[in-house]
Amino acid sequence: MAIALIMVAGGAAAGLFGSLLGLGGGILIVPLLTLGFDIPLREAVGVSLVCVIMTSSASAGVYLERHVANLRLGMTLELFTAAGALIGGLVAFSLDERWVAALFALLLVYTGVSMLRRGKPAPPLPSRADGADDGPSTFTERLSGPDYRVHRLGIGAFGSVGAGVVSALLGIGGGVVKVPLMHLGLGVPLRVATATSNLMIGITAAAGAIIYLARGGIDPYVAGPTAVGVFIGASVGSRIAHRIDLRVLRVLFVVVLAYTAFQLFRRALGL
Amino acid sequence: MRDLEVRLGRILSVGTWVGVAALGVGVILMMASGVSPLEPAFPSLDPGAILPGILGLEASAWLWVGLIVVIATPILRVVAALLGFASRGERDMVAVSAAILLVVAIGVLIGRGSA
Repeated sequence: MAIALIMVAGGAAAGLFGSLLGLGGGILIVPLLTLGFDIPLREAVGVSLVCVIMTSSASAGVYLERHVANLRLGMTLELFTAAGALIGGLVAFSLDERWVAALFALLLVYTGVSMLRRGKPAPPLPSRADGADDGPSTFTERLSGPDYRVHRLGIGAFGSVGAGVVSALLGIGGGVVKVPLMHLGLGVPLRVATATSNLMIGITAAAGAIIYLARGGIDPYVAGPTAVGVFIGASVGSRIAHRIDLRVLRVLFVVVLAYTAFQLFRRALGL
Repeated sequence: MRDLEVRLGRILSVGTWVGVAALGVGVILMMASGVSPLEPAFPSLDPGAILPGILGLEASAWLWVGLIVVIATPILRVVAALLGFASRGERDMVAVSAAILLVVAIGVLIGRGSA
C-alpha cells in the first residue's frame, strides 16, 4: 500500500512540475519510474504514454471549448504523428533498452538547453510571402487561422512523423518538437501552436500506447497509481501556475534534467 | 465549426474524468488488497475477465477499464470529428479523420499479430 501511495505522490510531482513548466510531464515520468522505482525502461515508457494521453485530453478539451486549438491543422498533422508513433512503437520493441536510455538522455539535454534559452526573444516569424511556394491550395488555406496563414505543410508532415516516432519510443507527448515546428516552421502563432500540439498528443500517444498494450508492455499496477497522481498534480499545477515565479523553478528543473540525463547515460553505457 | 469544437472538447473532458475515476477506484482497491506496484508479475489484459472483475471489485479489472477509457478517448474524439466533418460536407477532413483511424487500426493489428 505504501509503495502505491508513494507512486501516486511521485506521479503528482511529475504532473505538477510538468504543467507549471508547460511540459506534458512525460519527460519526468520515465526517469521517475526507471530511476526512482527501478521499473524496466520499456514498461515506464508504456505507462508514461498513458499519462501523457490523459493530460493531453484534459487540457485539449479546454482548448477546444475555448476555440484556441486549430482542429483542422491538428488533425492533418496527427495523421503523420500517429503514423510515426506506429513506427516508434515497433522500433521500441526491437531496440536494446540501452539505446532507449541514451536517446532519452539526449532528449533531456535538448529540453534543458531549450528551457534555458526560453525567455530570450524567439526568432522572427517567416514572412507570409514565404508561403508563396505552396501555391493557391484551398486545403492549406482552410487549415489557416483568421490572422495567420499556414505554409510549408510538407515540412510539417515530415516533422510530425519524427515527433510521432520520438513520442512512442520515449513515452513523451512530443510538444518539445511540435510546438517549434508549427510556430517557426509553419508560421502558426505560439499560443495556437501550443494548444494544437496538445490536441495532437492524445491520438499520437494512443497510437503508440496501443502497441505497448497489445504486446503486454503496460503494467496496470504501475500505470494506475502513476496516472492518478499525474492527473492530480497537473490539475493543481494549472490552477496555481499564474502565482508561481517560474524563473527559480526553471533553473531547478534544468538541474534535475542534467542529473537525470547523467544517470541515464550511465545506464546506457552499462556503468 | 465552433459547435463541433465544443462537442469534441466535451468528449475529451468527460472521457478523461471517467477514465481517471475508474483508475482511482482501481488504485483504492489495489491498496486495500495490499498489491504492490513493484511485483514484477502483472495481470495481462483479458477482455472476458473485465466485467466479472468489475462486479467483483477486483483492482486489475477497474485499472484496465480506466486505462482503456483513457487510451480510447482521443480515438473517440477522431470518430466524432469524422462524423462532424461529414455532416458539414468537408470531404478532405473526413478523409484525414478516416486515415487517422486506419493508422490506429493498423496499430491494433500489428500489436496483436506479433504479441
